[in-house]
Amino acid sequence: MKARILVVDDDEALSEMIGIVLQNDGFDASFCYDGSGALEAFRESNPDLVLLDLMLPGIDGIEVCKQIRAESDVPVVMLTAKSDTADVVRGLESGADDYVPKPFKPAELVARVRARLRPNETHAAETLTVGDVSIDVAGHRVTRADKQVSLTPLEFDLLVTMARKPWQVFSREQLLEAVWGYRHAADTRLVNVHVQRLRSKIEVDPEKPQVIQTIRGVGYKAGTAS
Amino acid sequence: MSEHATTGKEIEPVDARAQVPPVAPAFLRLQLWIRRPIEWIRQRWQRHLMYRTVISTLLFTSLALLAAGAFLSNQISSALFSERFNQISKESERGLTQARSILESASTTDRVSTQSLVNSTLATLEGDGATVIRDFVLKPVPVAGDENLYVGPTASGSLTTRVVPDDLAESVQNNSGIFWRSIELGVDSNREPGIIIGTKVLIPPGREYGLYLVYDLSSVQSTLEFINRAMVFTGLVLLLVVGFISWSVSRTVVRPVADAAYVSERIAAGDLDRRMKVAGKDEVARLGTAFNHMAQSLQEQITALNNLSAMQQRFVSDVSHELRTPLTTVRMAAELIHDARENFDPLTSRSAELMYEQIERFQNLLNDLLEVSRFDAGVAVLDRESTDLNVIVRKVIDIATPVADEYGSIIRFNAPAEGCVAEFDPRRVERIVRNLVLNAVEHGEQNPIDITIGQNDSSVAVTVRDYGIGMSPEASQHVFDRFWRADPARARTTGGSGLGLSISMEDTRLHDGRLETWGKKGVGSVFRLTLPRTKFDSISSSPLPLEPSVTEEIVGLLGDSFPLTGEVPKIGYTPLILDDEDILIEDEISLKPMDPTDSQGESK
Repeated sequence: MKARILVVDDDEALSEMIGIVLQNDGFDASFCYDGSGALEAFRESNPDLVLLDLMLPGIDGIEVCKQIRAESDVPVVMLTAKSDTADVVRGLESGADDYVPKPFKPAELVARVRARLRPNETHAAETLTVGDVSIDVAGHRVTRADKQVSLTPLEFDLLVTMARKPWQVFSREQLLEAVWGYRHAADTRLVNVHVQRLRSKIEVDPEKPQVIQTIRGVGYKAGTAS
Repeated sequence: MSEHATTGKEIEPVDARAQVPPVAPAFLRLQLWIRRPIEWIRQRWQRHLMYRTVISTLLFTSLALLAAGAFLSNQISSALFSERFNQISKESERGLTQARSILESASTTDRVSTQSLVNSTLATLEGDGATVIRDFVLKPVPVAGDENLYVGPTASGSLTTRVVPDDLAESVQNNSGIFWRSIELGVDSNREPGIIIGTKVLIPPGREYGLYLVYDLSSVQSTLEFINRAMVFTGLVLLLVVGFISWSVSRTVVRPVADAAYVSERIAAGDLDRRMKVAGKDEVARLGTAFNHMAQSLQEQITALNNLSAMQQRFVSDVSHELRTPLTTVRMAAELIHDARENFDPLTSRSAELMYEQIERFQNLLNDLLEVSRFDAGVAVLDRESTDLNVIVRKVIDIATPVADEYGSIIRFNAPAEGCVAEFDPRRVERIVRNLVLNAVEHGEQNPIDITIGQNDSSVAVTVRDYGIGMSPEASQHVFDRFWRADPARARTTGGSGLGLSISMEDTRLHDGRLETWGKKGVGSVFRLTLPRTKFDSISSSPLPLEPSVTEEIVGLLGDSFPLTGEVPKIGYTPLILDDEDILIEDEISLKPMDPTDSQGESK
């Protein structure tokens, strides 16, 4: 089955070109050209992944991203022209999983899309526990104190990656490679923002994290500091 | 927090005082006591026009007052004295003549009657009823061997015959006129001026006496003293008034000048809204108005220029951003076409390749433009990290080696074995070194490229040397200019944007570092990057020489390229000597005779 991808970009030529590249690589693309119709298009096409331009007429990309996140965990990859601004961080904080700076190569875009659509490896029934959080890997379910916590697939991957090796401190670069699929050094803001988002969902007090510790100058690690 | 700050401040001076040695040598302290006020006055004198005006006015006024006072006091005292003297001389003449005639016409023959006559006559002199106190002295002229006198020496009041000066007594004794002298009366501690007037009288039985009248001038003296006191007081008051006037006058003049100076300093510091206060319509007010006018027009021009350059910067940034979306489309399309070029005929296939390569170049140019616009807008941020310069340079060699292979150059690397760690922005420094190395490869004429790293206490440095076409001194002044080309006729082959070196220069400036260049036509060129070790260090001297001491001989040298897969190799890698004697290559095997005709032909 072909994966469906929704492209939200006001530049029709670029949208079409992205469509061609995606179809070339075996994806099914649908389009939306402004921010206000994005949510409707999302509901209609029910995509497996959204490519979202940050600067959109009507509602801007960050707002669209929040709307989508409010009702779905579908991976969102942002397309940005200004890679060095606070927009990237705001976009990630609004719930985007990854971003691709313009101008990008077709191969780069496809690689980002594939990394997000990676089929979940079939797991044996495996249950991980970190602090008072328990993770049912096969069932894709996370519970804290017998209450289910809703995580996006990316946040789930991030948590599982760290929870599997609670003795290891992961550097941001290692996490970028393991979770996002980057082979080269990339923007470590991705990791910082998503760890914050994950903490806000699973920690009792995100200011004093118990499940995911920050190891200063190195990276992150699952479990208590001991 | 503020509490902590105050306690800290309170404690500090106490500690500082405790450290001062309790007894300083006395003369040192004295010197300080003298020097400090002098220094203080000197500073004030040099810095403040008002001080100078007031002090010099006071100085000159007091000099003039002193001169005038001395003159006046002198005039008054002589006038007082002469008036008094005239009065006294008339009076005394009358008294003395009278006494003389009475005494000389006396016919007494015995001691008693003579004594009583003299007493009564002298009593009239004393009790003359004159306005001043008058005393008399009667002193017999001594005659040797004759002690038989009817009347002995007599004096009125507290006087004795000793008040008569010897020279006066002599004059009186030898002549018949009336003589006078100024004398001092009273005892040591309480002397007062006086005048003594005397003449010779004959007293029966024909003996000569000196009869003197003594006038006390203390009332004149006290009048004089009173006048002097009054003058001193007047002088002081005058001095005060003049001082105040000069102070207030110089203040009205100096204040606006000082104001203007302060306001212009503020404006120079960037506070463009500052203006002078203007009141009235006098010259000072005109100065203020003119000054404000000037400041106003300056501000308008500066604001206009600022707006213009901000607009231009924003424009460049916006253009670069706006170009990105269509460029993305074009690039994707080009890549698709490029990937499918095997299915095209040869001409179309080559066109696809050209298009693909040029779009890549276009994108690099756009990125560089955007970077430059960031520098111009002042939004470039330095991200310092403790990094090993060796590692960065090796990374760059990694990237540059394929390019160098294409050109036929080899890259030789010489670095301190212990590493070269400093605090800098690795991304930016990598970009600088990459630009320098690629530039050297491009202009290296297939000769080796030497990269050398050096360090000292405060700085780290890397030099990139090529033995290629080199450049003239004028060219080395312009290499960092935007879009500058050494030779406009020379084809640009690597597709650089023409902004690489100027971006490198901006990156270096951001580090407070130095990027310098040396070049000689046909010999080669050297680029040297020097960075402070930390942001607190400043570069005193670069650890590496810029100008090689040996320039010509090394052109044809050959060495092994640095193998990029492993550690720094010990064999096949040409070591460079890094002391003051500079870069001499000591690997004789690698020496290859230089072919002058060949290298000349290349450089032309």
